[in-house]
This record gives sequence, C-alpha cells and structure tokens, in this order.
Amino acid sequence: MPEVVARTLRLSSPPDTVDTVQDLLATVWAQTPRLDPADRLAAELVIIELVANVIEHANAGAAIEYSLSIVVFDDRIEATVTDSGSVEHVDLRDRAMPDALAEEGRGLPLMKALSESVEHRRVDGYNHWTLVRARRDGTASAAKKVMPSISIAGVIDEMARQRALDDMGILDTPPEERFDRVTRLAKQLFGVKTAAINLIDHDREWAKSVTGLGSVSTARTASVCAVTIQGDEALVVPNLAADPRFVDKLAPDSSRFYAGFPLYAPGGERIGAFCVSDPQPRHFSARETEMLRDLASWVQQELLVSQELSRASEVQQGLLPQKLLSMPGWQVAGVCLPARAVGGDFYDWYPVGEGAAFTLADAMGKGIAASIIAATVRAVLRSASRFADAAGAIDAASAALSIDLDNAGVFVTAFHARLDMDSGILSYVDAGHGLSIIARADRTSQRLRSHAPPLGVDPETEWPLQTVQLNAGDTLMVVSDGVLDLYDGTLGALDNLVALALLSQDPWEIIEAIRARARGTSADDVTMLIVRRDDAD
Amino acid sequence: MDITVVHHPFGVAEVAVAGRLNMVTAARMREAIKQAVDANHPNVAVDLSQVVFLDSSGLGALVAGLKAVRAAGGDLRLIRPGEQPQLVLELTNMGSVLKSFDTVGDAFPHA
Repeated sequence: MPEVVARTLRLSSPPDTVDTVQDLLATVWAQTPRLDPADRLAAELVIIELVANVIEHANAGAAIEYSLSIVVFDDRIEATVTDSGSVEHVDLRDRAMPDALAEEGRGLPLMKALSESVEHRRVDGYNHWTLVRARRDGTASAAKKVMPSISIAGVIDEMARQRALDDMGILDTPPEERFDRVTRLAKQLFGVKTAAINLIDHDREWAKSVTGLGSVSTARTASVCAVTIQGDEALVVPNLAADPRFVDKLAPDSSRFYAGFPLYAPGGERIGAFCVSDPQPRHFSARETEMLRDLASWVQQELLVSQELSRASEVQQGLLPQKLLSMPGWQVAGVCLPARAVGGDFYDWYPVGEGAAFTLADAMGKGIAASIIAATVRAVLRSASRFADAAGAIDAASAALSIDLDNAGVFVTAFHARLDMDSGILSYVDAGHGLSIIARADRTSQRLRSHAPPLGVDPETEWPLQTVQLNAGDTLMVVSDGVLDLYDGTLGALDNLVALALLSQDPWEIIEAIRARARGTSADDVTMLIVRRDDAD
Repeated sequence: MDITVVHHPFGVAEVAVAGRLNMVTAARMREAIKQAVDANHPNVAVDLSQVVFLDSSGLGALVAGLKAVRAAGGDLRLIRPGEQPQLVLELTNMGSVLKSFDTVGDAFPHA
C-alpha cells in the first residue's frame, strides 16, 4: 500500500520560527519510517530554506502569516508554502553557489540542488511556493514531466492559469473579426477543414474563433489543445488515432490531424492554443510549422490588445454612476453598452442642491481615443457643478476643453440638465445632441430640440439654457445615436422609444428592452439615460 | 541549540554547538565567535558533532565567523561535522574553506 502522509500547519512569524517547522517535520518523519534518510535530510533542508526565505523576504522582513503543507507520496515529497507577503516578484532562476566568503545566497542553490522543482506563483494576492523532491528510494520515476496532475504544484499552476484567463475578460465574448480573419487565413493557407483559437477554461475548451468544422465549446477531456498548453512548443500530431496520448480522446468523427501552438496571458500563463486540424491524417512540414507559429504570434498580439481594452473598459464602466440618487418621487436609470470594449459615450448623474444633475454625452469617434475625451468631459462637467446652472457648467466645460478638443480634432455632443425635484422643472443645455424626448403621461410626446453646436466646434458659442416641466407620469429619455440604429436609424426611432416608455412600468423595463435589442448587433455605442416622475396617486 | 565555549592555550577557543544551527540560532553563533576573538582567541574550533541540522543561515554564521577570525590573524576550523552538516558543506563547496578535523588538537596542532 502506498504510504501518503500529509500535514498542514498555519504559522505566523514572529513568534513562529523555522524551529516550529522543524518540530512539525519531526512528526512527519516519525510517520514515514520507510523514507530513506538521504531523502529526509534533503527534504528537511529544502523546506527549511524555503520557510526561512519566506520569513525573511516575502514580506520585506515584516511580520508574516503563512501556511505550510507537506505531503509525502511514495515517489516524492511535496511542500507548499502559501504566504500573505507583499513581495510579488521573485527570481528563482538558477544561479551558482556564491563566493566562498559570501555570508548569504546559498539557500536557493541548495534548494535547487536537492529538489526536482522550486516554483513560485502569485495568485489572488498570495505567494504560493512549491517544492518537489523525488524520492531516491521511490518506486516510480518522478521526473518533472510525469508529475501527476494531483500534485500541489499542478493545482496551483492551474489556479494561476485560470485566474489569468479570467482576468483577460475574453471568455464568452462575441466573435471578433480581428480573430476570425486569422483563423480564416490559416484554414485557407494550410488547406485544412478547421482552424481555431481555443481557450482552456475550467473543464471546457472554448473557441474565441473557429473557422470550418468544430464547435465553440468542447469538454476539456476531449481537447487536444489542453495537451498543447502543457508545454511551450508546437504540438504536431500527423494522426491522432495513431498516437497513444490521444486514442482515448478521439470521438469517431473527430479530427485525425492536429497542429497547435500555445497562447499566453500577459503574465506568461498558457491559456489556450491556436490550432489547425483536419479529419484526414497528414504530414506537416517544418516550414508549415513555422508559418503556423507566425500566425499564432499574430493571435497572441491580438490577445494582448484585448487585455488592454478590457482594462480600459473596466476603468470606463467605473466612471458611470454607481450610486442611486435619493430623489423621492423620481426614478432614474441608465445604460451604456460600448460597441467596442470602450466607447465615447457616457451618462452621469449626481445630486446638486434640491435635485440632481444629469449628463449624456457622445464623443465623436470610437475606441480608446474617444473614451479618453469622454472621461475628460465627464470630469469637467462634474467639477463645474458648483456653477449656478447647467449653462454655466457647459460654458466651463467648453472653456476647459476647447484646447484638448482642438488638439484631438474631435467634438462632443452633450445633453446636460439640472432637475429641481420638487417643482419638476428641468433646466438643460443641449450642445448639438438633440436626441432627447419626453413621453408624457397623457400619451403625447415632446422632443427637446437643439440648435446649438457641440462642444469643441466654436469656443465662443453661448449655449442657451432651456427649461421644461416634468409632470407626474412623464418620462424623459436621452439617448445616443447608437440607440436610433437599433430601430430604423432615423429620428423616427424616438417615437419607438415613446411607445416603449408608455408600455413600461418603470425605467428599468425600458433599459432591459434596449439591452435585449442591442445584444450582439450594435455597431455603435448604445447609451441611454431615463428620468421618470412617479405617477400621481 | 546549546553553545559551550572552552578556551584553550595559545589563543584557541573550542566552541561546541549542539542542536540546530539555523536562522534562529545563527546570530548566537556569530556572537560566540566574536566573543572568542575579542578575548584574544582568534583560532576557533567549532565542534559540530552534536549539530543535527545546518542550513544556509547557519553556514552564513560560520562564514562570518571565519572572516572575523581571519581579520584577527586566526582561523576557523570544524570538528567532526555529522552527516547532515557534511552534506551541506559539500553541496555548497565550502568543505575546502571550512576544513574539518577529528579533534581540536588536529585542527590546531600547535596549540
């Protein structure tokens, strides 16, 4: 019977020291009498070196909490230290023993000399260290490559990998042309039936792009790419049915030929593979492998761009108002669905006096440049809220922005309003936006027209302050032009919105309807702001 | 860890250590050697026969001691390191710098 002994200890230093750990190790060794003394000596030394290193360096010398797990298998000894240290970057590269008269620097070389692997992973703000020492008396060969997946190192690797993939925010996103054109090209170039960008997510393989045969989601157990990500090299299998690694994975109708390259997260974790496959076995030349590598690095570049966009998108969504306004008798809701990960639209609201200020703006252009302008407009309008009225705020924004906007060669349409919640009087400035409409309780509607230019066209512009009264049951809707595109693309779409408002119980119902319409189809940013006054009792 | 220091004639100090020579005890080891040097015993024989565990921190203390005694014109030599300390000395290529002997008399024959 294989002997497996496992112990885990929680520690904090101070007061715990390496002596505490050595006392624990003594109890482990007592339970593993068949462990060869040479393995015991080596394991004890590498574990103590690791713990000493964590105590001394993982939190830059400050007090530190950590846990230590030791598992003695019949072919190896694994130790894992998980610490809450602040130090994120660790250099575990091989280095020589230091000069004879050096007083430090021997710990890591000792660990490397006496163990099969020493690894560090930073996951969720914790450092995870794993050591594997193959037992010289072991029955099985415990070379690094055949470590079973139950190993602690494997589990932590997988955690880090999954986390990196999740952080990229790419899973279950819609198809994107910039990926699809690479798979299309690969399919043609190699004359294969399928080319795909597969990501390995928990227990499934999910395709960001697939051209030809093949499905978007497959079980990981049936995934060949899941094998590709175990290494950094190309995996080329001329005939899967003739390869013992894959015979069990083959479905009757599945591919025979496979060639793939691993794809990486920004931190280097292998998250998936770019691959081509075909139902017929075939030869894949060295030159073809090189071409596939080139295409894989193209995909890799696109993935990194995704990551940046995803970050920017988080920042931008963070700019939208998160807090509900406390305005008895009023309901306020908004939605912003950028066509790309980031867009030039935003809406905003915040309390001002006995009411609130509302903004919906659209910076011309899309993507990161437009989103930066949008963020600037938002900040300036917010800081201008101390001005007496909406016109003053727009003037201040115009003055502050004109230089930026000139340089960027863009302009911004904006609807900016102040609402007095008791009287229902809405005073507003419309700077070239013109996409606001009120659905009245009496089933009529009123467009808030604009004859003033957008911000950024002429700094000398004086934007007129206009007012309108919102009565019980009235709904004000301000939208971006992306909302018009959800209907027929003309101003007639505003009538559709009025009909929608009259059918809806509250603003959130309208937003859900718009969200459903926009799903997967919108070419432009879809942004909408709704202010509704409660019905009279 | 226990440290016992015996002063011999001709500037020889015998520092006998028992237990673990690790991160916890390294500082005391340095201090014991420094005191021997300060007391004009720059030839230090460190008896490791009762040391069950030596790590890189303990080794660092021995190297610090070696530098201190050399600066005072002496030397630091080891007496009968056990299996584990011997392994560490070999792996770190320190066996030729921290030489091992069977007795204090062998380590410092003129003492």
